[in-house]
Amino acid sequence: MSSKAYKLGATALVLGLAFAGLMYSTLSEGTEFYKHVDEVMANPSAWQGKRLQLHGFVVDKSILRRPDTLDYRFQVQSNGKVMPVRYTGVVPDTFKDGAEVVLKGHLASDGFAVDRDGVMAKCPSKYNPQSPAARAGS
Amino acid sequence: MATLGTFLLLASFVVASYALSSSVVGARWRSRRLIESGVGAFYLVSALMTVASVIIVHAFVTGNFTIKYVQRYSETAQPLAYKFASYWGGLDGSIMFWVFLLSVFGTVAVATNRERHRELIPWVVAVVSATEMFFLFLMVIHNNPFSTFLAQAPADGKGLNPLLQNFYMAIHPPSLYTGFVAMTIPYAFGMAALITGHLDDSWLRAVRQWTMVGWLFLTFGLTLGMLWAYEELGWGGFWGWDPVENAGLLPWFTATAFLHSVMVQERRGMLRVWNVTLVIVTFFLTIFGTFMTRSGVVQSVHAFGEDRELAMMFTVFMIVLLVFSFGFVIYRLPLLKARHELDSWASREAAFLANNWILLFSAFFVLFATMFPTISESLTGQRLTVGPPFFNKWMQPVGLVLLLLTGIGPLLAWRKSSVANMFDQFAWPVATALVTGAGVYALGIPMWASGACFALCGFVVGTITQEFIRGARVRRGATGTDIFTAMVGLVGRSRRRYGGYIVHVGIVLMFLGFAGQGFKQEEQALLKPGQQASVGHFTIRHDALTVTNDEQKQMIEGHVTAFADGKVLAQMTPAKWFFNKHDQPTTEVAIRRAPGQDLYIVLAGYDVSTQTATYTITINPLVNWIWFGFGVLAFGTGLALLPERAFAFAIARLPADAVTTTLVLLLLAIPATARAQTVQKSDLRKQLEADIMCSCGCRAPMNNCPMAPNCHGLRELNPKLDEFLAQGMDREQVRAAFVAWHGGQDILTAPIDRGFNRLAWLFPYVIGVTGAVTIGLVARHWSRHDPAAPEPVVAGSSDDPALRTRLDDELRDLD
Repeated sequence: MSSKAYKLGATALVLGLAFAGLMYSTLSEGTEFYKHVDEVMANPSAWQGKRLQLHGFVVDKSILRRPDTLDYRFQVQSNGKVMPVRYTGVVPDTFKDGAEVVLKGHLASDGFAVDRDGVMAKCPSKYNPQSPAARAGS
Repeated sequence: MATLGTFLLLASFVVASYALSSSVVGARWRSRRLIESGVGAFYLVSALMTVASVIIVHAFVTGNFTIKYVQRYSETAQPLAYKFASYWGGLDGSIMFWVFLLSVFGTVAVATNRERHRELIPWVVAVVSATEMFFLFLMVIHNNPFSTFLAQAPADGKGLNPLLQNFYMAIHPPSLYTGFVAMTIPYAFGMAALITGHLDDSWLRAVRQWTMVGWLFLTFGLTLGMLWAYEELGWGGFWGWDPVENAGLLPWFTATAFLHSVMVQERRGMLRVWNVTLVIVTFFLTIFGTFMTRSGVVQSVHAFGEDRELAMMFTVFMIVLLVFSFGFVIYRLPLLKARHELDSWASREAAFLANNWILLFSAFFVLFATMFPTISESLTGQRLTVGPPFFNKWMQPVGLVLLLLTGIGPLLAWRKSSVANMFDQFAWPVATALVTGAGVYALGIPMWASGACFALCGFVVGTITQEFIRGARVRRGATGTDIFTAMVGLVGRSRRRYGGYIVHVGIVLMFLGFAGQGFKQEEQALLKPGQQASVGHFTIRHDALTVTNDEQKQMIEGHVTAFADGKVLAQMTPAKWFFNKHDQPTTEVAIRRAPGQDLYIVLAGYDVSTQTATYTITINPLVNWIWFGFGVLAFGTGLALLPERAFAFAIARLPADAVTTTLVLLLLAIPATARAQTVQKSDLRKQLEADIMCSCGCRAPMNNCPMAPNCHGLRELNPKLDEFLAQGMDREQVRAAFVAWHGGQDILTAPIDRGFNRLAWLFPYVIGVTGAVTIGLVARHWSRHDPAAPEPVVAGSSDDPALRTRLDDELRDLD
């Protein structure tokens, strides 16, 4: 094997390993599980503390807001399973009763705690090019 | 009409398949006539597609709601401009628009290269036709934009989504498509070179400009997308790493890589396999991006909805494309051997190579992260997602390294840089970087990401300035003109190089804007009327909440007074608009723009009964430099694209010192206009000040008198103007009054637009047009009979040692 090919192989190996290592370490922090409410409610204790994107529908007439604050409490459901949610912050325009939502946050003992700007409401119609606005929630 | 449209699409498909087969057979049998007829058929496709486009635009403009596509994306009340934009507003139309652009571009490319690259043409026609056929097939089988309602057609349409009814959004998709489609041409030429085995550099010369044009439009499209997101979506940022955004970014990375590596092949005959690969990958990524956004394979809130059948067809096409393209690359590997080896890592080609790796890495990283949810679901069954923080964590360092290479590349010599040479080249740029870094540190800006970015921006600017100054000095020594004229001459002599540097300046400015995001501030505040909230040195006061209606929508507006350091800055009205035909309201952001930072206010929530409003207040530092940077970048690209003739003409005939004079005049004009804007005046008064000549003898209008504020003419005229305005006169009356008072029309800057005076209005235009035509004719004449016009400058002065070394250097570079 010529020394050039040898060097090249070694460089590629080192770079590849460094890349894989970095990718692995950042992925483990950066990823979130994408789950439906009923999947999580099937075994809530397994999901405690994990970063989740929770998919569900807002339960009708469940949205409560403490007057003059941005504190919200509401419930989301899918396939009949219901989960209480708390959130502080601005909600997107499409957030209302019955809306399909994806919530970013983690499961706590008293329900699902949503991150700041973690409410993403989906647009009901199909090609309605929606925006990160509705996603980011502000 | 709809039937005719469908027929035209079918006819295009048939004609394109004829073009494909006749060029392939013609090329194999070496039959001139078959090839010619293939080219003819190829031109015919673009004619057919143009007619089809005219039909669909006509349907939109006249409101032909029997066509489903028209009904879905347009309505009678929609403004005309958005009726045009509806053409590419939905899936079916966007594919049709794609084919239309492709056929037109293909025609232009074939027509311009027909004589020069005769042997490649049949295969170019074949490849482009095959691509057209794929998209036409999609339309005919699956997404016909001309399909009509079988039963009763609705009376009115649904209308284009209000979010898309925005100026930037109307031009963003066509710009992006233009960029995407333009990338097909380099691919077609690359494949033609591979198939024929004519793998010298001639195919590169044919596609270089196409790639640049495509790249410019891609950049333009991406910038417009950012601008749209920033102004219309109201989340305070401009890039959210959404799959659809990423789809546009992927080919941008590889196209940028190609634009750089192509220089290495031209200069040193290296990286041949690499260049062909980049062209193929770029084209593949444009198709893949289209697939990603249109098939619903990636969950995105603004993708075109899920469509399995479409996904299947795209997958098949992409597999065929990859196998076919890389099959030929492998088949031709022996012909693609490099002429040289890399001499040293301290060389420009090594810097280009590193730049290429990083760009390609960026493309694959973004691709991987975008596809990650889909990949993880198919591998583990768990849908895992990655968010913008993940992208940012990776792309920040990658972007900084790219920026560093932008600065390093031009400082290294081709082949090998000596240590002494490197010290000489790096001293100033590194010093600039250190000074900038120290300044940033002193200001207390966080060092990681933002601070480092500023320092690197300093480094790159140092490099580019040094390149310009050194080049201009040599040229000044040679030609004896002043430094500015020499600089223009320099840019003219190697447009691609110096145009490229200007593009880099644009990139640096954009990076300033990105770095600004590192210290943006955001607050959410719920305010009752009269209450205040502070962010940074801004304070905003919520004054009132109003609800108003117009024909299209209901508008809820928050009225806000913004203060900066206690002083009133502006009245702002962030709002929400509820369009009658759409459930979802649109957010109308109030932005107070400034070069340093934008104050960006969104009405996030409201309660009409209590008059309370929730605002999201964002301070976005330096964001405007992104848009400005794009302007610089476009200018640089334009410069690099300018045809040889135009420049040769300008340089040869440029009188010495003309540039300096122009610059001085410009510098004088800027403060004058700035001063004119300082005092707040009524609009009518402003108009009149421009209409009336100052009487001090300065030959300038009142608002532009160089003697102001101590001008005796103005001292006389201003009270007169106030007096006339106080009498309630309108513009014409005041002008008439001044003419009567002065006793002649020469007090007016422009003659009254009436009767004989109209001729005076027409005169400058006539002169302008005549002048332009004359210059054009003369330029043509000169460039035809005097092609060596710019050369004597160099030839006559080759005694100069500095120039000679530089010339030697350049010639050696050319091999």
